[in-house]
Amino acid sequence: MKKFLKWTAIVAGCLVVIGFLAFLYFIPPLTMIPQTAFTQPLAQALEAPLKSIKDPAEKILAERGKMIVGRSACSDCHTPQGSQGPNYNEFLAGGGMKDEFKLYGSVISRNLTPDKETGIGARTDAEIIRVLRSGVSHDGRVMTPVYMPWFDFSNLTDEDKYAVVVYLRHVKPVRHKIPEYSSHSDFEILSETAGDYAEHQRAH
Amino acid sequence: MRRLLIYFLFGITGTVAVFFLFIWTGTLNPLHSSPNAHEKSAALPLGKAIYEAKCTTCHGDDGKGDGRAAALLNPKPRDFTSGMYKIRTTESGSIPTDEDLARAITNGLHGSAMPDWGPFLSGDSLKAIVAYIKSFSPRFEQEKPRVAHISAPVPSSPPSTADGKRVYAKLQCASCHGTDGKGTGATATELFDDWGDDIVAANLTEPWTFKGGSTARDIYLRFRTGMNGTPMPSYLGSASEKEMWDLANYVVSLARKPVWAMDAEALKTFYAAADAEAKKNPVQRGKYLVEAQCVGCHSGYSADGKVLPEFKLAGGLVFDLYPFGKFTSFNLTSDKETGLGNWTDEEIKRAITQGIQRDGSRLLPFPMPWTSIAQMPDDDVNAIIAYLRTVPPIHNKVPMPGKPNFFSYMWGKFEMLILKKQTPGYIYPMKDFTKEAE
Repeated sequence: MKKFLKWTAIVAGCLVVIGFLAFLYFIPPLTMIPQTAFTQPLAQALEAPLKSIKDPAEKILAERGKMIVGRSACSDCHTPQGSQGPNYNEFLAGGGMKDEFKLYGSVISRNLTPDKETGIGARTDAEIIRVLRSGVSHDGRVMTPVYMPWFDFSNLTDEDKYAVVVYLRHVKPVRHKIPEYSSHSDFEILSETAGDYAEHQRAH
Repeated sequence: MRRLLIYFLFGITGTVAVFFLFIWTGTLNPLHSSPNAHEKSAALPLGKAIYEAKCTTCHGDDGKGDGRAAALLNPKPRDFTSGMYKIRTTESGSIPTDEDLARAITNGLHGSAMPDWGPFLSGDSLKAIVAYIKSFSPRFEQEKPRVAHISAPVPSSPPSTADGKRVYAKLQCASCHGTDGKGTGATATELFDDWGDDIVAANLTEPWTFKGGSTARDIYLRFRTGMNGTPMPSYLGSASEKEMWDLANYVVSLARKPVWAMDAEALKTFYAAADAEAKKNPVQRGKYLVEAQCVGCHSGYSADGKVLPEFKLAGGLVFDLYPFGKFTSFNLTSDKETGLGNWTDEEIKRAITQGIQRDGSRLLPFPMPWTSIAQMPDDDVNAIIAYLRTVPPIHNKVPMPGKPNFFSYMWGKFEMLILKKQTPGYIYPMKDFTKEAE
């Protein structure tokens, strides 16, 4: 009897370990979830900002912008992660992607909602379009290719870029501060040097 | 024997210490191994410092217009070593004036990726960067810019515009720019610049895309001086000054309203027409969509992060998403063996909208954003497939996503789910890729 108990305990112990490993291996089973579980919430989140638009012309433009934002996978990086996939209550509020690049350092996706302090609320249309077109941020810093694929979006027509801006202006503002990205690339170090040097030159 | 062992250990410790000393002093730091790294200091000439910070991404370290992003941009960034510039106030074939270059930098070149640097570069900084850009070409030392004489403008009026229309026909502008000015003339698809790159004739109904500006004077200057390095010649001699001004007035009159100035009714008709046009010409629509969202990841990169033009759309960017394993962007060219050549339209559609691979297995919702492509209208997805069929084959074998190492996968899951640790991903070019490119 004692021997039986002992073996049962051992087997139970093994099962617990195996079960735990299996839990880790299969959960979340991303490739077993139906496709619509990914696409439907995204479609709803994309649709939400359009509802509050009154001006008919602006609505048509925003619809166009929605199509571009949707197909360009902006949300994949720019929506924060929740416990069950992307947190669409904070659609496009940034921080969803932290990438480390063997060449360029680490970057964190920015807040694209129209929040005045932490998002793009204080940015002009021209500043946002400049990012899409040339990868130059509002402070004149150049974004190295790969992380933010501006060199793709640069090929959008000016009118399509404008439609994207109109859409982003109507996304629900979320206060979400994103830390500045750390970069150890030569590129960024130089960028700072040049800026400081230019300031110095102007002052004298 | 024991003494030997001690010496041996001494040797190892010493070597390791020296190695770490090197790392500590930065001599061996792999992140600072680029050839220019040691030159960087405040002692750099200002122009060079600005150039390396702002310009190299597109124009390249040597000013050849072959920067990291260059291969994906339409039109291509300028090759400064040629000394040839499109937007000038100087005679055809001449080098531009300093003011021409400064203006291009300050205002940017509309319809291209060249932004307006005005808010960031002015005064001495602007002068310095102009001087540095000039230093790439010996022409600026050997030649003097021959400034074009600008005649008195002919004010815009209905008769002048009507005359301009006749000049448009006489000079056969329509053969490239089309009778309606939309840049769809008979020869518009066969235009190349002096570097052999495909270029398009300007759509004259969209003045906000005119690189050199959209006033009558700007447009007059383009006929008067030509656009060096492109099929757009100077019409000095083939047209009188009055004819050129009339033509400029006519081109100004061709402008349509941009979407940001349209009302709801106009927008509806405009987008309905655009959609009908896209349906009629799916390959062109597909090209637009692919170049604005697919090429960035589905292209080959060199080890220093430069897009290789010969591997455009041929895949080869590795996403190392711990703990999910490595994913390499697929070869989208029509190569039968390594690309989409043998895929049916249905298979491509299933892969990009539902994330189902050819063998029926599922893709994760990242890094391939099929969840986003599923949001596209059906016509657009078909247009993408129609265009991918026309991409010339490039042989580039890309590894399929494999199963990650079982234990590292489980440990990674444990870290993510239980320890709540953020696990960053890595992105880098396919390892043996540059070898293959050679």
